[in-house]
Amino acid sequence: MVILRPEQTGLKELLDRVLDKGVAVDASVRVDLGSLDLLGAKAHIILASLKTARQLGLDFPEGTNFNTLAWQDLTTKQPCPVCGMESREGDLKEKGCPWCGWNYRPDER
Amino acid sequence: MISKKKVALGADGTTDQMRGKTMENTTLTPEKNSSGLVDAIDRILDKGLVINADITIDVAGVELLGIKIRAALASFETAAKYGLEFPSGTNLETVAWKEAMIEKEECPQCGKRVDREELLNFACPWCGWESAKAKKRKKAGVKVEAQ
Repeated sequence: MVILRPEQTGLKELLDRVLDKGVAVDASVRVDLGSLDLLGAKAHIILASLKTARQLGLDFPEGTNFNTLAWQDLTTKQPCPVCGMESREGDLKEKGCPWCGWNYRPDER
Repeated sequence: MISKKKVALGADGTTDQMRGKTMENTTLTPEKNSSGLVDAIDRILDKGLVINADITIDVAGVELLGIKIRAALASFETAAKYGLEFPSGTNLETVAWKEAMIEKEECPQCGKRVDREELLNFACPWCGWESAKAKKRKKAGVKVEAQ
């Protein structure tokens, strides 16, 4: 038996989730003295992986090139439901998974 | 796996295991004993991290300081792949950059990162793992030879 998907545990799994889902921190702090507004701070922070950031439409640093293959793969690559490996071919459904041989319509072959 | 087997001592006091005779009975599994933190850093650098922050600080109702951060953190390879801008003066024509731009995929068996095309169409150069596509190709190739 070949186990294609390595088991993920603990920290790795957690980090994967956090990066994939993104983290938003919205905080505001007020310091008052008597009725006097002394100090105030507001912070809007968002953390996400590159892919997630793009999908969420976050601002990227100036000069980022969105025409690279890796960005195009975001829409064209699909993970196989069995092994989890991604295939660009797009016709995962038509040709089956090139990695593990999973087939959407095994009868027709 | 080895430890569960009965180990017979030979005449010279060595065991089969010591002589490597039980190697064929053991399955080859990748040794990934990297600790949590290393794994975590690996992951972050590989996926890239976007940090966007807007922070304002006001004193007595007067806005004093405003900070706007648009940052992306990634390994060189990931940064190159996703087209992040490099500091001016970086030479992107070196061999290492060209190597980084080759699309790589993790081998499902041994976990090494290898050229995606090679892994998909032929086999893993490290452990010899073959994809379904490569096997199909091989089969088709053998058929052609037989004819």
